[in-house]
Amino acid sequence: MRHHSRAVNSVALSLILCCTLILMAGHLAGQQSSGESKSPQKFSASSIQIEVPDPGDVPLPTEFRVAVYENLIRQIEKTGKFQHVYRSGDKDAVNVPDLVTLRTKARAFTEGSQKKREVTTVMGATSLTVNVRITDHAGQSIVDRDIKGRVLMMGENIGATYDFSKKVAKIIRDTF
Amino acid sequence: MMRMRNTPIDVSVAVNYCAEGRRHIFVHGFFLSVIGASLMFSTVLGHGQSTDARAVAASDVLQAQVQLVVGGQSIKNNSKGTLSIVGSSLQLEADGKKVSVEASSILDISTDKDSRQDITGTAHLATEAIPYGGSRVLSLFSHQVDVLTVEFRDTNGAYHGAVFAMAKGKAAPFKTQLVALGAKTTVPPTGQTPDTK
Repeated sequence: MRHHSRAVNSVALSLILCCTLILMAGHLAGQQSSGESKSPQKFSASSIQIEVPDPGDVPLPTEFRVAVYENLIRQIEKTGKFQHVYRSGDKDAVNVPDLVTLRTKARAFTEGSQKKREVTTVMGATSLTVNVRITDHAGQSIVDRDIKGRVLMMGENIGATYDFSKKVAKIIRDTF
Repeated sequence: MMRMRNTPIDVSVAVNYCAEGRRHIFVHGFFLSVIGASLMFSTVLGHGQSTDARAVAASDVLQAQVQLVVGGQSIKNNSKGTLSIVGSSLQLEADGKKVSVEASSILDISTDKDSRQDITGTAHLATEAIPYGGSRVLSLFSHQVDVLTVEFRDTNGAYHGAVFAMAKGKAAPFKTQLVALGAKTTVPPTGQTPDTK
């Protein structure tokens, strides 16, 4: 009888130990992943200048390039993280000492179909992948990531540029 | 002594003759002035007609109901309004606000057809080889509209862009007229050589 209770106790202990280990591992993994998604360091800058998107090797139509640019300006202004959001070529940006610069370069796109999106809600997504690079006044990289803008269910292809700029605005909020 | 006979002179003839002459001059003068005036008026009217015709033609072509897709500064995106050419400027009137861009400050003006021509036209074979689906051309809208894109710099040198959607066939006349007014373009209207930015 005593032998039986000892066995039950050891099984229970080993189970508790296993559960504790699993929980600890999960917690550590969670910490690690959150550390990856959020920048460990916050930067500060009074102003940002946004350069005109570089189409790179992707045959991105002008209207898309302009839509990406104007949506970026609007969304970054909305974050309220900077006193000034300068456009490319603005003469006033030249003498700002802590100016950071945001450059974008198109990497890829997949053209979807609005009809497919509306009918299936699963197929027909349009996606636009753009490299986002933010550098400080000395040219050192603060952010260098590929961001994907997508329009999944309803809406025109231009929605991909809006989605992209919203994601960039989130990166700005997390970084500054 | 010679007798002098005072022959009465009938002056009525002379008077009549003078009156006749004056009448002739008057008639001739009147005739000439009528012709002159008619010629003058015809020139003025002709000029007026041609100006009016041009104005009518211009207003026919260079005014359109548009949707501002993006880039209207003080005007909200997706606002509907009237796009027109006033003097040498492109002007958008929507939501009770006006925004205008001087043609000479336009860095590039293009239509959605230009983008396709630019990408798939002469370089079609090259784009076929581009990875990541790059050979296909992404269009902003799935429905049949014309898209006019204007890139320009403000007085401070800052870059701006605006995209307008309008009825089929409306974008090209805007582009042609703005290029004639000094706007630059990388894809020239038919029959013109490209500008450098």
